[in-house]
Amino acid sequence: MKIAIETLAMATVVVPEGRLDFGAAPDFQRQIETALAGANGPPKAVIIDCAGLDYVSSAGLRVFLVTARAAQRASVSFALCSLKPAVREVFDLSGFSRVLAVLADRRAALAQVSQAAS
Amino acid sequence: MSATSAPAPPQHVMGPVERLADLLLVRPGPYARAFESLIVGLIVLSVASIGVQEIPTLPGWATRALRMEEVVVIVVFSFEYLLRIVAATRKFAFIFSFSGLVDLLSIAPFFLLGLDARWLRALRLLRLLRVLKLQTHILEATVAERTRVLAEKNALLEQAQAQIRAELEVARALQMAILPATFPATSGYAGAARMIPATTMCGDFYDFIELSQGRIGLVMADVSGHGVPAAFFMAVARTNLRDMAAHHAEPGACLAHTNRALCAQNPLELFVTMFYCVLEPTTGVLRYANGGHNPPYLRRVAGTIEVLNGAGGLVLGAMPDVEYPDHEVQLRHGDRLVLYTDGITEACNSADEAYGTERLVAEFQAHGDGAPGSVVDGICHSVAAFAGTAPQSDDITLTVLAWDRP
Repeated sequence: MKIAIETLAMATVVVPEGRLDFGAAPDFQRQIETALAGANGPPKAVIIDCAGLDYVSSAGLRVFLVTARAAQRASVSFALCSLKPAVREVFDLSGFSRVLAVLADRRAALAQVSQAAS
Repeated sequence: MSATSAPAPPQHVMGPVERLADLLLVRPGPYARAFESLIVGLIVLSVASIGVQEIPTLPGWATRALRMEEVVVIVVFSFEYLLRIVAATRKFAFIFSFSGLVDLLSIAPFFLLGLDARWLRALRLLRLLRVLKLQTHILEATVAERTRVLAEKNALLEQAQAQIRAELEVARALQMAILPATFPATSGYAGAARMIPATTMCGDFYDFIELSQGRIGLVMADVSGHGVPAAFFMAVARTNLRDMAAHHAEPGACLAHTNRALCAQNPLELFVTMFYCVLEPTTGVLRYANGGHNPPYLRRVAGTIEVLNGAGGLVLGAMPDVEYPDHEVQLRHGDRLVLYTDGITEACNSADEAYGTERLVAEFQAHGDGAPGSVVDGICHSVAAFAGTAPQSDDITLTVLAWDRP
């Protein structure tokens, strides 16, 4: 899978692309940890834009959970957005969409984290 | 001194010249390398000077320097030639060997014809052959030594790997052994299960738990990830659930308590999806709760498929205070229930298509009316046929429960 990172004023946006499975999870986790730490301290918020994410396995779900916890500890707002139906189903089934901030699109996610930060 | 001890073997004591020969010619090391470089340098210098001497306008001092150089070369070569004879174990063999003759030819003209035999000095180039041969020899010896060291290290690695593999095999056997091999004997009910790990150790598990008053607990679970960490977490989760199942009648309460226990002992931040149901054999009532697991399918005797998709709770081990609502379904004679992990629905073929719930439902609907063992076989066979040669990426586990008239 490919992972792009965009640094915006309000948030760092992580954009994974492809399949987030057992093999891809460790690299994804490292990239998100780097984004959470930030070059000059933690960002205000981290958003994972899942528009290009085709599949998430249980090992991939774990990364979202670990990230949510780490963000909470670092007082960084955290949100996901733009889940494809197949990925959304995994989040619903596992109960993750009830405990994580899952938004329809990036605009909604940015609005959510800026509201949470203020 | 005992009479049987052998006398010490006669030892050859090297004289100073022999020691010098040994140091400069035989034993590999800095002295031998330096001496060899000196010889090569002198060969090149003396051959190059042949041409220089032909220059007619060469000043007198240059001619004298070249003559001096030739004398030095002859002295060093003669010294080396004598040392080689000293170092050789079979001296005549050396003298009449190719390199022995070349060495001799490179100095002999001087002694026979004096300094004028300059063109014969070109013969010295032949001596470079010896140096090249020697270097090839050293290179070969170095390669052989490195190969030997590498082979030794490889053998050690293989040994270590074999040990790890053997230990993993034992761990896997233990893991398989804690899973029930047979469904508890219950009038009218039959069950079968299959677990196919993707790696040696598996993060999936299923369980049949015999509860009070003849009730039976059925579990299907999937730990995030694979391998040893997932297997450990699986063992902890299974033990906790069995413990809670003995104390709490409602499946939802069992999951809630198991979840709390797992959250308290979860250093790796793993989690487990878990479906847990309790069967009341006399009435056929099945009560269930779901912690983020794929909902099971119920095949009615008429062939229709129902999904046990009552609202569930979060996966277990993620957050401590989660509630898991209880649901209830009435089984009837002839019904089949399949519990499975996503290793089945997410099994991919070489075109990267997933087996999916539709194929599972279709297979279950078409061939789900047999004995549980044959239904399990049929589904596994269908998944394997779909995946073809594509590698199995996730653990596959399923159980089938049947209620037929006793």
